[in-house]
Amino acid sequence: MSTLAIEPTVRLEASEPPEARGLARDGVRLLVADRADNSIAHGRFSDLPRHLAPGDLLVVNTSATMPAALPATRADGTPLELHLSTPANGGDHDRFWTVELRSEGQPFGLIHVGDRLALPDSGSAQILAPYSGVRLWVARLDLPQPLETYLATHGRPIRYGYVARSWPLSAYQNVYATEPGSAEMPSAGRPFTAELITRLVADGVLVASVTLHTGVSSPEGHEGPYPERYRVPEQTARLVNAVRAWGGRVIATGTTVVRALETVAQPDGTVAGGGGWTNLVVTPERGLWTIDGLLTGLHESDSSHLELPRVAAGDELLARSYREASERGYLWHEFGDSQLILGVLSR
Amino acid sequence: MNGIVTGASRGLGLALTRALVDRGWQLAVDARDGSALEHAIDGLDGVVALAGDVTDPEHLERLVEAAGKPIDLVVNNASALGPTPLPALDAYPLDELRRVYEVNVLAPLDLVQRALSHLSDSARIVNVSSDAAVEAYEGWGGYGSSKAALAQVTAVFAVEHPDLHVYAVDPGDMRTQMQQEAFPGEDISDRPPPEESVPGLLALIEGELPSGLYHARELIEVST
Repeated sequence: MSTLAIEPTVRLEASEPPEARGLARDGVRLLVADRADNSIAHGRFSDLPRHLAPGDLLVVNTSATMPAALPATRADGTPLELHLSTPANGGDHDRFWTVELRSEGQPFGLIHVGDRLALPDSGSAQILAPYSGVRLWVARLDLPQPLETYLATHGRPIRYGYVARSWPLSAYQNVYATEPGSAEMPSAGRPFTAELITRLVADGVLVASVTLHTGVSSPEGHEGPYPERYRVPEQTARLVNAVRAWGGRVIATGTTVVRALETVAQPDGTVAGGGGWTNLVVTPERGLWTIDGLLTGLHESDSSHLELPRVAAGDELLARSYREASERGYLWHEFGDSQLILGVLSR
Repeated sequence: MNGIVTGASRGLGLALTRALVDRGWQLAVDARDGSALEHAIDGLDGVVALAGDVTDPEHLERLVEAAGKPIDLVVNNASALGPTPLPALDAYPLDELRRVYEVNVLAPLDLVQRALSHLSDSARIVNVSSDAAVEAYEGWGGYGSSKAALAQVTAVFAVEHPDLHVYAVDPGDMRTQMQQEAFPGEDISDRPPPEESVPGLLALIEGELPSGLYHARELIEVST
């Protein structure tokens, strides 16, 4: 896919959570792009109930963020950061992971198969094979404790250079997150508060969940998505089918929800429950089959994260959205502002 | 679970065959020396043994037929070392080199091509490689370059079949007949037995690791 024609000239990055800027989570800005009439509106995320109707279905990803960054030391003493991405089950052993190595916020390329990295408390990581080109590796972790316990003690949330300082794990959890497994926050849902969801439910908007554990999405990566673990519960699938049958809209909270739902969708838009690993890449040729709306953040215009919003909104509307967001000083990335793309299936 | 292991009469192939049988696999295995193969697998349940040469297409066809369906595993382990003592490339007999490539590169691809339509969704293909495929050792130009070719065949096949798990694996130095032939008259008792490379192969065969080139002994925990 070619890159998006419009490169925003000004792009403000959210360097801290909105709470640190004196805003509630749902106080971030919301751009609403409706494909049905090519309109763009601006407001706050807390206005969301105005844009949804009774009988619409909001689907969220309940995967919780892991403290997936560990301090690591190469044999020559070079301090690095090891980012766990996705598990790579190796037979009887549950300690194989795809990982990324970074140094001072930048990708670190001077790693070879066979390298052994020291981790805190006598843990270690053995580099076994390259994965997905040169950026990710398959590694075996040898840890003194079960992984979840070990990460709780020694891990930090993965953080990139545009976030000025470290924030506690709670800043990286959605209010409805239940099942740890994501290397990075499925951040489209971050602006939701318990009160906002209560208002939506009281309005008659339905809420259902899927689980998709994200891998790392480092900002330099231009690769397509790699396989991730997902689960679409049977009850969620039934709700999607029922909502579509009565003419309601299925709104995905984030590209992770799109990936999970579209993985179990048929071309006619019906879905079935399922789970496992998904390799799905939604291309313009394939299009979207079941979701009619997408809540998402603002992403790098050359990143693979933008491809799905492009399919959802179409190039012209998305380019205009990004231009307006840029002109009006919207903030980018996981702590930034939001956009809602509607009318995906009405084109 | 059904699999094929070539070169199962001794060394790594036999050690892997025994381990897989212990874990309930049904296997079709081969070796050139039929009586050695029969002797080796005597007492192993669920193993069909076929004597034959992996460069013989009819033999490979029979091997695929003998395996239960669908096929969950193909291990290309049978290898040709070439003439011994290992000749330098400047005097390497090219007919012998052709034979090394036939066994180590073309036969594994032939077997995979024939098995492909019978593979299960989660099938593993494991091609046994060598550190001589990467490092330049004197005398190892024939064997090593053939294993390098096999590693690249494996890597490209993996890209062309992202739905399969396709591995090249370096088992490491082992105390095997092939190792002894490569170092005639030397004491190779310092090399670990092939059984020590088996857990790493099982990690690939029974796991979900991404396709790629792995070192068997790095896959398992180093006991310290």
